[in-house]
Amino acid sequence: VKNFTYHQPTTIQMALPLLDAEWGKTELLAGGTDLLDRQKEYVSQPEKVVSLTALEGDFRKIVGAGAAGATIGAGVKLIDLAESKQLAAFPALTSAAAQIAGPQIRNMGTLGGSLCQRNRCWYFRDEHVNCLLKGGKKCPAQEGENQYHAIFTSGHQCVIVHPSTLAPPLIALGATAQIVGPKGAREIPVEKMFQAPVKDGQREHTLAPNEILVSVKIAAPAGLRNASYEVKQRETCEWPLVQASVAFALDGKTAKNVRVVLGHVAPTPLVSETAAKALEGKEVTEATASAAGTAACEGVRPLSQNEYKVQLLRVAVKRAALLAAGAKPYWEG
Amino acid sequence: MPAEGWPKQRRLLGTRVKRIDGPDKATGRAKYSYDINRKGMLYGMILRSPYAHAKIKSIDSTAARKVPGFKAITIIGVSRDWVVVKADAAANTLEVKTPPNKKGGKEEQKTISVTPTVTLIHNNKPVKLADLKADDRVTVEVEQDAVGRELFYAGDEVAAVAADTEEHAKDALKAIKVEYDQLDHFVNEDEVIKNPKKRTVPGPGQGNITEIKEFVKGDPAAGFKEADAVAEGTYGVPVISHQCLETHGLVAEWDADGGLTVWASTQATVGVAGAMAGRFAVPQGKSKCITHFMGGGFGSKFGPGVWGVTAADLARRAGAPVKLMLDREEEITTAGNRPSASGRVKIGGKKDGTITAFDIDCHGTPGYTGGATVTLNALPYVYLDTIPNYRRAHQIVFINAGRAEAMRAPGHPQNCVLTEFAVDDLAAKLGIDPSIIRRKNLPPNNPQSKDPISWVARRNTIYNEQFDIAEKLSGWKEKWHPPGKGRGTTVKHGIGMAIHTWGGFPSGQVNQVDVTINKDGSVTTQTSTQDLGTAQRTVNAIVTAEILGLNPPDITVKIGESQYGPSSGSGGSTTCPSQAPATLLAAQAARNDLFAKVAPRVGADPKDLAIAAGKVTDKKNNKEWTWKEFCARLGMDEAKGKGEWSQGIANQEGNENISSGQVGGVQTAEVLVDTETGVVKVLHMVAVQDCGLVVNKLACESQVAGGVIMGLNYALFEEIIRDSATGRQVNPDMEFYKLGGIRDMPKISVHMMDMPERGVIGIGEPPTISTAAAIGNAVFNAIGVRVPFIPLSPKRVLDAIAKGGAK
Repeated sequence: VKNFTYHQPTTIQMALPLLDAEWGKTELLAGGTDLLDRQKEYVSQPEKVVSLTALEGDFRKIVGAGAAGATIGAGVKLIDLAESKQLAAFPALTSAAAQIAGPQIRNMGTLGGSLCQRNRCWYFRDEHVNCLLKGGKKCPAQEGENQYHAIFTSGHQCVIVHPSTLAPPLIALGATAQIVGPKGAREIPVEKMFQAPVKDGQREHTLAPNEILVSVKIAAPAGLRNASYEVKQRETCEWPLVQASVAFALDGKTAKNVRVVLGHVAPTPLVSETAAKALEGKEVTEATASAAGTAACEGVRPLSQNEYKVQLLRVAVKRAALLAAGAKPYWEG
Repeated sequence: MPAEGWPKQRRLLGTRVKRIDGPDKATGRAKYSYDINRKGMLYGMILRSPYAHAKIKSIDSTAARKVPGFKAITIIGVSRDWVVVKADAAANTLEVKTPPNKKGGKEEQKTISVTPTVTLIHNNKPVKLADLKADDRVTVEVEQDAVGRELFYAGDEVAAVAADTEEHAKDALKAIKVEYDQLDHFVNEDEVIKNPKKRTVPGPGQGNITEIKEFVKGDPAAGFKEADAVAEGTYGVPVISHQCLETHGLVAEWDADGGLTVWASTQATVGVAGAMAGRFAVPQGKSKCITHFMGGGFGSKFGPGVWGVTAADLARRAGAPVKLMLDREEEITTAGNRPSASGRVKIGGKKDGTITAFDIDCHGTPGYTGGATVTLNALPYVYLDTIPNYRRAHQIVFINAGRAEAMRAPGHPQNCVLTEFAVDDLAAKLGIDPSIIRRKNLPPNNPQSKDPISWVARRNTIYNEQFDIAEKLSGWKEKWHPPGKGRGTTVKHGIGMAIHTWGGFPSGQVNQVDVTINKDGSVTTQTSTQDLGTAQRTVNAIVTAEILGLNPPDITVKIGESQYGPSSGSGGSTTCPSQAPATLLAAQAARNDLFAKVAPRVGADPKDLAIAAGKVTDKKNNKEWTWKEFCARLGMDEAKGKGEWSQGIANQEGNENISSGQVGGVQTAEVLVDTETGVVKVLHMVAVQDCGLVVNKLACESQVAGGVIMGLNYALFEEIIRDSATGRQVNPDMEFYKLGGIRDMPKISVHMMDMPERGVIGIGEPPTISTAAAIGNAVFNAIGVRVPFIPLSPKRVLDAIAKGGAK
C-alpha cells in the first residue's frame, strides 16, 4: 500500500474541506471492504484517506419507518439494513442486503459504500492491465473474458456491470439520495446517481469528488408490493449473475406504477420502462411476469461469452415480479 | 520373531476420537508457519513477471536499495557457484573458475568486475572482495546477468527483497526498475492446438504440444462392432488450483554455527530440510525444518519451492530471519495446479451392460512445464481393467502459465470424470440403470491371490457391498429414473453415481516413531512426520494409548520436526499406513522394555505381564498395579521403544495384516437443477469407502467428507480463467475463483467399511476422486442431456439445455 495520510472527521462539515475537486488523490473510506482491496492491489493509490467511520449524528441511523418514509444514513451497515424492522415494508431492499457477500462483509460494509463502490471487473482490478478506466485505449473485456460482464453494451466502450445490489431495489422503491458538497445540500433520485464511466477520472456514480452521500430516503406509499431476485451460482459470498427489482401498487388485482430495475447487466442499474409497461395495469401472473421478463431484454447486445445472461435476466424479472405479487415461488422445488 | 500385529480386542481403534489438538486449532493457540515471528525478523517478497512470456531487457535495483527499511535483494536465476582464482580488491575484480566435479562440463574461467550490484557470498555470508582468497568457494550474483533471461508465465520470478516491514518490502519491489521485451504467448490450450508449430515454453523443439502417446489393448474396432449401443462425447475438466488456506512459504533463520532452521508450510519436513541442506551446502544435521501445524497442501507442498529457497537466501544476505509467505494471487498463479483434461470418448456395450470397447483421445495442460502429475490417462481407470478392447491416446499441451504440482489423487479425478461420464451416457443409450453397468464391469475377485484377504482377492465382493450400501443410503432404487424423466418441471431432480480406486500403501521410505515411557507414567510419542490432514497427532496417540492401556489425551505427541528421525512426505495417502504401524511397533517395544525393566523389581516374569485399561497385570501371581504405580518402579530409568515402517517392511512375511493397500469407493449425488437458470444445487452426497483398519472413525469420516467437499467444488465452481490477449489469469483470487461456502454444501452421508484384517490403508486421496463425476452424472439424470464440461456453471447448464435437454 502506498503511504497515505488518514483523517477521521467527526462531522460532515469537517469532512468536506478535506476533499479534492478531482478524483485520484483523495478517497473516502466507509466500511473499507472495497477501498482497502484497491489500495493493496495498487489499483487506487490515494495520498489521503478521509474516513467516515467517526461521523456523528444520523449518519449511521435509520430514522422513520414504513409508508411515512424512512431515511437511511449512508453509514448504516449492511447487516442492519438486512435486519431492520423499520424497513420491513421493503423486502426488495432488505433481502438484497441480506444476500451481499458473507457475514464479515455485511458487518463492515455500509449503504453508502455499496452505492459508491467501484466496479468488480477483473481487468479493472488487475494492477497490470491498463483498461479504459485506468487510462488505457481499449476495453479488454470486449474481446476477452466477459462471461460476467454487461449485456446492455450499446453506447459505451467499458462493459462493466454496476456492482451495487442495493441500487436496483432503491431505484424501484423511488428512493432519493441526500448529498452535501461545498455548495451545500442537494437531493436527487437514486437513479440519477449513476453513470457509465468511459475513461480515467470517472466514477460509476455522478457525485462530485468533493461531495458526500449522507443518506437515502424512501417514501413509498403504503401497500407497495416489492421484491428483488438474484441469480447466483453459489449461495455464499457471491455476486449475482443478474438481479431484478420490481415494485408496484395494487389496484384491486392490477399492478399500478410499476417499476422494474435491472442489476448486473449494464454499467449502471437499469430502469426498464418496457418491462414496467408489460405489467402496468395488469394482473401479475406467470404469463404477464414472463412477458415482463422478455420485455426487459429488449435492446440487449451480449458479448462473446455472456449470452446466457439474457435468459437469466428474463427469469430474474419474472421471478421478482411474482415474488412481489406474493405468488408461491414455483422454482423452489 | 513374527510381528505381534494389531490387538484382536480393540478398545480405541475404530472408535470416534476427537482430535487431541482440536482445541489448539479452534482457539488459535496452534502456531502455523504463517504465525511464526522471530526476533529481528524481516519480510521477503518476490517481484514477478507481469507478462506471460518475455525477456528481461534491463534491470536496475539502485533505487530499491535506497528504500527505507530495505535489507537485502536477490536477483533470481542468475547466481552461480565458483572457485576463487584471484580476488583483487584494488582492481575490484574477481578471477574465478568453475568448481570441480561438474560431471563432464568444460572448465570455465572468467574475471568478474565487482560493481555495487554484484553480490558475493562465502560460507552462507555476504563477503567483500577483500575477504576472499584463492580456492575459496564463492557464490556470485551479477545483477546484469538477468538481462536476456526468459520468463515463461505471468508470475515467473525476477527478483526478491527483504525489508523490515511488509510495506517497505513492497515499496522496494516497486522500486526495482525492470524493462521487458514481450514475446508471443499461449495461455489457453485451444490456441496451442491451432498453432502446433510455435514454441513459447522452455526447451528446444517445435510447438508446445507433445507427440500422441497411444496404448491399445485387444481390438477396439471389433469391440464396437459387437456393441448393441455406442455413446460418444467430448468431455472436459479445467485447470484448478489447490487453494491451500495457508499459502506456501516459510520463515528462514540462520544460526551462528552456520545452521539453517526453516518453519515451513510443508507436507515433508524431512524432505524440505534435506533440500535446504543440499541447496546451501549445510551439513544435514544442521538443517532443520519445523512444521507443527500446516494449513493444507494437497500435494503441492513437498519441496521448499523457489520462494522457500529465496527466503533462506535473503536471510543469509541480511543476517536476519526472513518470512516469505505467498499472497493469494501468488498462491494461485505460481504454487501449483491440477492439470486439465478434455477429449473425445467413445464407448460401446451390450444390452446386459457389458462394455465391449472404449476409445479416448484427450489432452491436458500442466502449465509451462510439468512432470509426473500430467500422466493423464496413462492410469488404467477402474473399468479399463475389464474392458477387453480399448485404445487410449493422450497429448500434453504446454502453455505460458504456472506449473502443475501433484494434487489429491493425481490423474484420477480427471480420468474419473472422462470415463464415468461416458459410462452413464452408454447406460442411457442402452436404457439401463447406471448401477447395473457399473456392477457388470467390475474387476473380478482373483481366487489365485496369495493373500485371501487382500484387495485383489475380494475387490468384486467389496465393490458390490459398497454399491449395496450406497444404494440403500441414497434411496437409489426409489429415486433413480431414466435421464430427464424425474420429478419436477422447472426444477428437475436427478441422482447419479461414480466409483473410484486408489492405492494407499505405506511409503517406500522408512518412517520412524519413538515411544518413551517415563517414571511418572507419562508417555511421549515422537516422529518427524507432519499433519497434512490425517489428524496425525491423534492417530499416533490412539495407537500408543491402545497398546499401553491409556487414553489418547494421556499421550504427548511430538511431530513436525525433521530432526526427530526419518519420515516420508505426506503423498499418495501413505502417511497413516506408514505412521500407524511404526507407532504400533514403537509402543509394543516400549511396553516390552517397560516389562523387562520393572518385572525383576516386582518379582514377576515379563512373560506373565499384560496391560489392561489403566493397569498392568501379573496373571501368574494374580497381582495388578495401576499404570502409574507400575511405571514408578522404573526408578531413574525410562522405557523406550522404536518402530520403523515402510512398504519394504510391510512386504516382509508375517506383516501382511499390519498395513496394505488398494481401496474402492462408491459415491452417489442427488441434485436439483433449475432449468431456467442453470443453477445446480446438490442435496445429498453418499460416500462409501473402505480403508482397511479404521484407526479413528471420526477423522476418517471427516477426511471423506472433506474429499467430497473438494470434489463438489471441482464439479460446480472451480476454474482458472486466463485472458488470451494479456496472458494473465483474470481470477487469481477467491472472488471469481469460486469455492462453495457452507450454504452450498449438501448433506453428506459417509459410510466407512471397517476391515481390520487388512491392516491400515491410506484414506486421504480416494474420497475426492469420484465426487465430481457423480454430480455430473446426477445433473445428466436430472435434465436428460449431458453437460460435458465442468464446472457445471449456469452458463454451461443452460447451453446444454439449449442444445436439446429438459423442457
